[in-house]
Amino acid sequence: MAFPEVLRRKYQDILQQIRQSGLHKQERIIHDKQGARIAVEYPFGSAGKELINMCSNNYLGLSSHPQVIKAAHQALDHRGYGLSSVRFICGTQDIHKELESHLSDFLGTEDSILFSSCFDANAAVFETLLDESAIMISDRLVHASIIDGMRLSRAAHDTYKHSDMQHLRQKLELHKDKETKIIITDGVFSMDGDIAPLAEIVELAEEYQALVFVDDSHATGFIGAKGRGSHEHCQVMGKIDLISTTFGKALGGASGGCISGRKELIDLLRQRARPYLFSNTLAPIITMTTLKVLDILAGSTQARDSLERKAAWWRQALIQAGFIVVAGESPIVPVMLYNAKLTQLFADELYKKKVFAVGFFFPVVPQAQARIRTQVSAAHSEEDLLFARDAFIEVAQKHDILGKTKAELLNMQV
Amino acid sequence: MEEKLLDFIRDEFLEDPELEIDADTRLISAGIIDSFSLVSLQSYIEREFGKRIPAPRITAESFDTVRQMVQIIQQF
Repeated sequence: MAFPEVLRRKYQDILQQIRQSGLHKQERIIHDKQGARIAVEYPFGSAGKELINMCSNNYLGLSSHPQVIKAAHQALDHRGYGLSSVRFICGTQDIHKELESHLSDFLGTEDSILFSSCFDANAAVFETLLDESAIMISDRLVHASIIDGMRLSRAAHDTYKHSDMQHLRQKLELHKDKETKIIITDGVFSMDGDIAPLAEIVELAEEYQALVFVDDSHATGFIGAKGRGSHEHCQVMGKIDLISTTFGKALGGASGGCISGRKELIDLLRQRARPYLFSNTLAPIITMTTLKVLDILAGSTQARDSLERKAAWWRQALIQAGFIVVAGESPIVPVMLYNAKLTQLFADELYKKKVFAVGFFFPVVPQAQARIRTQVSAAHSEEDLLFARDAFIEVAQKHDILGKTKAELLNMQV
Repeated sequence: MEEKLLDFIRDEFLEDPELEIDADTRLISAGIIDSFSLVSLQSYIEREFGKRIPAPRITAESFDTVRQMVQIIQQF
């Protein structure tokens, strides 16, 4: 018996605990292409309905863009479906090298290396590049994949308060005798939507001779005047030693990612990064379509300009209505309700009003920091955003939330 | 020692100034301190109390409350 009853019960108990603590996640079934309006079945088995989608990472609206889909069809015809190999055996096509080169041009770096996902990229980088003589100093709100990546490394680790440059300086001072120091941050933080102060981070890094690593997954393609990312926005292009990013969000949204940065570091990753050496090459269809996406973005800033205008409008509309919104400049606009139960109720009622937005609460965000995270897309029309705004206001008025303080929201009985 | 540790934790880790903690507050399992930040506690203990606690003794379980931390520090 491969799966004895005692083990089955053990796993059933764990699942039961997850359900009892209100942390059980259920997937929403989408009967559609990704887009601003999608047909959703939720809960499982219910009749589907069309919703305004306020929770996708499809920032530039490219996931189902006709030009992108056409490029993907062409990719299948030209370079096939699969490669059945890792990169260094027989999994490197001309298009893989071309994409790496185009990514370096787009991001303004020396070299790039592709991974099956940005999670894999982040899992590879610290283990491969850092030994016991190094210290990793990370922002406390970095993405889970970075945390897992740091766990795999033999280097020591420490953290600094979110975007607190004085605290980062203290930590650099504390660890100044370490041979290798690396500051690790997200470019745009996924739960708050704020942009890391990269100019100050680079200045500190130069003072303390530290490397800088930025995960720009929620920025590549649309943050910065030409959409190059948070390093462009902060005017430090060429000064970030390692950038990781994904093709699974703004850049078409399929999957795949990369590390881009100093040539020697990328070369060493190519030799030793385990997720690169022991995992399949990026599928030709994603590789070639991502090339097309970069081509579209290099040719025009129209999509990111449209996104910027829509995100600014959405942010302002929520603030004017009386919601508490985390300050920021990205299309991630978190609506703070602080109260976990209220957040769950709010998301459910939005759903009934045909607006799809997700509530986040502890342990995904800190205690008493529950929120509805909204994400604007260039694919949203004005009507979509007006519809969503009205739904937010109607639900808020029903529960008398508008204009309330954090303490009042936390004390609300739901 | 308890008070000094609590003051350090309030200053170093608490994002929410309204959150009250005491010697029995669960810190790591409740998400107030993440396990990556334990190195800063280790260096504070060394600076403030002159005790070097070996890294393997500083775990999410053994350092979950200030009371537990004090017990371990006193063994060195």
